[in-house]
Amino acid sequence: MVVTVKLSKVTKTFKKGKRNVEVLRGVDLVVERGACMGVLGPSGTGKTTLMRIIAGLEVPSSGEVYFDDKLVSTSNRIIVPPENRNIGMVFQSWALYPNMKAYDNIAFAVKNKGEETRKKIEEIAELLDILHVLDRYPRELSGGQQQRVALARALAKDPSILVLDEPFSNLDARIRDSARALVKKVQKEFGVTALVVSHDPADIFSVADVAGVLLDGNFAQVGSPLELYDSPVSASVARLVGEINELDGVVEGGKLRVLRGVVERRDCQDGNVKVGIRPEDLRVSETEVQGMISLGKVRVKVSSYTGSSFRLVVSPLEEEKVELYVNSDRPMPINSEAVLLAKPEKIKVFKNN
Amino acid sequence: MSEFGPTVKAFLHQLILAIFVVIWLIPIYAMVINGLKSEFDVTSTPVFIPPLHPSLTAFAAVWSQLDVPLLNSVIVVIPVSLVATFIGAMAAYYFYLLSVSKRRSLNFMSNTIFSLIALATFMPYQAVIIPLTRIEANWGLLNTYGGAIFAFILFYIPTAALLMSMFMAVLPRDIIDAARIDGSGDLRTFFRIVVPLTIPGIISTLIFNVIEMWNNFFIPLVLFNVAKQTLIPVAVESFTGGYGTLYNESFAAAFLASIIPLLIFIFLGRYFIRGLVTLGTGGKGAV
Amino acid sequence: MATLEGRSRLRSILNKAALVLPTAALSIILLYLVLWNLYYSFTNWSLFHSIPEFVGLLSYAQAMSTVFFRSSFVHSLELSGGLILVGNLMGMLLAGLLYFVRSSKLRTVYLSIFIAPLAISMAVNGVIWLWLYNLQIGIDWLLVRLSLPALPWLSSTSTAFPSMFIVAVWAYSGLAVLFYLASFMGVDKSLIEAAKMDGVGTFKTFFRVLLPNSYQGVIVATALLFLFSFKIFSLPFVLSGGPTNVSLQTTVVYMYYLYTTEFFAQSTAIATLVTAIAAAVVIPFALLGLRRWVRRE
Ligand SMILES: Nc1ncnc2c1ncn2[C@@H]1O[C@H](COP(=O)(O)OP(=O)(O)OP(=O)(O)O)[C@@H](O)[C@H]1O
Ligand SMILES: [Mg+2]
Repeated sequence: MVVTVKLSKVTKTFKKGKRNVEVLRGVDLVVERGACMGVLGPSGTGKTTLMRIIAGLEVPSSGEVYFDDKLVSTSNRIIVPPENRNIGMVFQSWALYPNMKAYDNIAFAVKNKGEETRKKIEEIAELLDILHVLDRYPRELSGGQQQRVALARALAKDPSILVLDEPFSNLDARIRDSARALVKKVQKEFGVTALVVSHDPADIFSVADVAGVLLDGNFAQVGSPLELYDSPVSASVARLVGEINELDGVVEGGKLRVLRGVVERRDCQDGNVKVGIRPEDLRVSETEVQGMISLGKVRVKVSSYTGSSFRLVVSPLEEEKVELYVNSDRPMPINSEAVLLAKPEKIKVFKNN
Repeated sequence: MSEFGPTVKAFLHQLILAIFVVIWLIPIYAMVINGLKSEFDVTSTPVFIPPLHPSLTAFAAVWSQLDVPLLNSVIVVIPVSLVATFIGAMAAYYFYLLSVSKRRSLNFMSNTIFSLIALATFMPYQAVIIPLTRIEANWGLLNTYGGAIFAFILFYIPTAALLMSMFMAVLPRDIIDAARIDGSGDLRTFFRIVVPLTIPGIISTLIFNVIEMWNNFFIPLVLFNVAKQTLIPVAVESFTGGYGTLYNESFAAAFLASIIPLLIFIFLGRYFIRGLVTLGTGGKGAV
Repeated sequence: MATLEGRSRLRSILNKAALVLPTAALSIILLYLVLWNLYYSFTNWSLFHSIPEFVGLLSYAQAMSTVFFRSSFVHSLELSGGLILVGNLMGMLLAGLLYFVRSSKLRTVYLSIFIAPLAISMAVNGVIWLWLYNLQIGIDWLLVRLSLPALPWLSSTSTAFPSMFIVAVWAYSGLAVLFYLASFMGVDKSLIEAAKMDGVGTFKTFFRVLLPNSYQGVIVATALLFLFSFKIFSLPFVLSGGPTNVSLQTTVVYMYYLYTTEFFAQSTAIATLVTAIAAAVVIPFALLGLRRWVRRE
């Protein structure tokens, strides 16, 4: 039975020697039944800890965890132990049992071992394209196959919730995309509530319906992946969700001044601010472009090719120290000069702190 | 030393090592050759000279007194070391579960238990001889297999538990967690996952315990008082003889008593050595 | 639902109990034996007092005031202290020599030879050395051949104890060799390579790089040499033909002697003392050493 997962004011404190380290600080979170939630955060913010608390492997220092209306964990107490939570979990390390063949790994989690189970495992294996490797040991499998066996093991028991901890970080870059698509597909097909944790925004964009950014022990922002990308609440969130150029700016009487450009900004208070502009919202050009504003003249420092487009590093003529990343549809000669243009509506303004 | 050339240095290195190796081997060499001496050899050669007329008479002479103790040792040591290793491994896994537990009280408990296990492993077991013999006398266990088995289990389970808990320290946390998530109880996880993953450690523990039990002199000394019914190390001691008695019989007896542990040591020595290393360092460091 | 949870909790408890109960039961018996021992050490139980009475520390005073206790305790200290000293030196020397053996196969063979005495019963080792110490056909035969003075070995009270000490060094040095070698092998190879590149000689490498980075070897070798040597029983027993020869008596042998002569309370007093000394070494070693090293994985 698929459930809604709810966390209420969950904190977690670890003892490190004599010091107490507060890893989670009152996390509130709801993952609706059948939804796929992505959790994004830099290394060491407690993403794994959060999953382990949901799984019951770790006990919260305070706060509650509910599966539907059922209290499963509360302050310093595990009410439903992990073996009874019916969770499908894909570990960061995959944690396949090295002494069992792939089939037995998957079957280990399933209670009844009848013909029906065999059929079901084969169906899942078929779906994940590991049917032909079911009688191999984990060490005889490629990274991608191991990940899919781990996923099959998590799915085979009809989990109430599927928990994936950095499921793609140990994969080769070239198979990551197909792996993401596959996870998305089975999650929807099984209709299972899912929680995906990663420090790579690409993972979250490709699989999650809702995403949250975990910073300093709490969610800094929760919303659709697009919302996080386009309207981040802070520079840190913006930085985590995707690459961004950070500049200093000043707001005065509804006008934002950044580099040599001036943009209308009625929603901002006067004062010094941080300005964020993503590389794809910038362009270099010799001429004016409709709908874009000029930020002044820049010199090209680096010009490189990144698979599908060109990537420039440019500096304003009068401020050599400032460097900006700019996407471009064509390469530019080094040291050539051009005008830097920006989409005004995409310029993000954050409070200075 | 740098005034010597590298060849001289290498030669010296080998030479010094060779001298020590020879010194270390002499007693074992003596044990092997002297049991094969005839009566004539015994009266005419020292212990360092190989037999002039190899013969098995000494072995034949001691066999009639060692056959039962040898069999007794096999009957007691082999099953007991298996059982002790297994029970110790189960306790070690329980101990592992305690030590990964987040609760402070459990952590304190696991420190206490660890100290007690270590104490029981290294404690001079001679120290409980009086209560042990009293209990065994009350239960009618003196001079029986049961009595020896009880004592060996009592004294060697801590060793097994200590060794196994150090071998288990390297079990990947995630895998044990994955088993829990998969709804597996502790016993099932132990049999299906922990045991298969710690087979080398189990073998080390087993070998270590076999050799230690086989060689134990004190326990059979106090638990058996019928010469013919005891275990092999005590039986051998009756062949020390006095000056002037035939030494070939002493050595033949010594050889018979050591053949099993020595064979194990020669063929499975690395497991014994791993057991020793683990006992001292908690499993860090390989040789 | 509540019963389901109750059942699963019960199952979990039963599982854990099955894992730990056999060992726990036996540990409790062992603990019982130790406490039993402690209890009777405060009585006067012996052949002459078959009904024990509480006498406080009297049995301790009696057992420890004899000349036998003093000599056996001194022997134990000498044996352990001497073995720690000589064993550590042998360990450093032999492990140092082994470390620079190129072929790892050969190194293992040599190491096994140094450890082999530990795989043989100490009682058997005693029997072998009895004959090696024989005045006509043993080591003396060799010494006479080499025109060296023969030694009385076990047959003189002044040389008996050193003779036994030699056997102990032969038997137990392998432990130290093993732990030093394990430590040396754990030293970062690149440090050794760097020393080689800089043209540092083997000796200097040994003293400046290997030894300073092997503190664990010192601790472990010392702790285990102590723990093994403190309970040496078979060697003195076999080499002196029983528990009564004063010149070889160690504390545990003295304890056994008191037991065979039915001074039970005094024997339990010595046993308690021995347990306390062992505990004083084992517990810090286990908690500060073993436990930490295991955890660091
Ligand atoms: N058992 C523990 N004891 C003490 N500290 C811990 C424990 N587990 C985690 N921590 C600490 O809690 C913090 C969060 O750890 P966690 O593994 O949850 O981070 P993460 O977000 O998953 O990081 P990563 O992206 O590297 O996997 C870290 O600083 C870590 O050192
Ligand atoms: Mg993590």
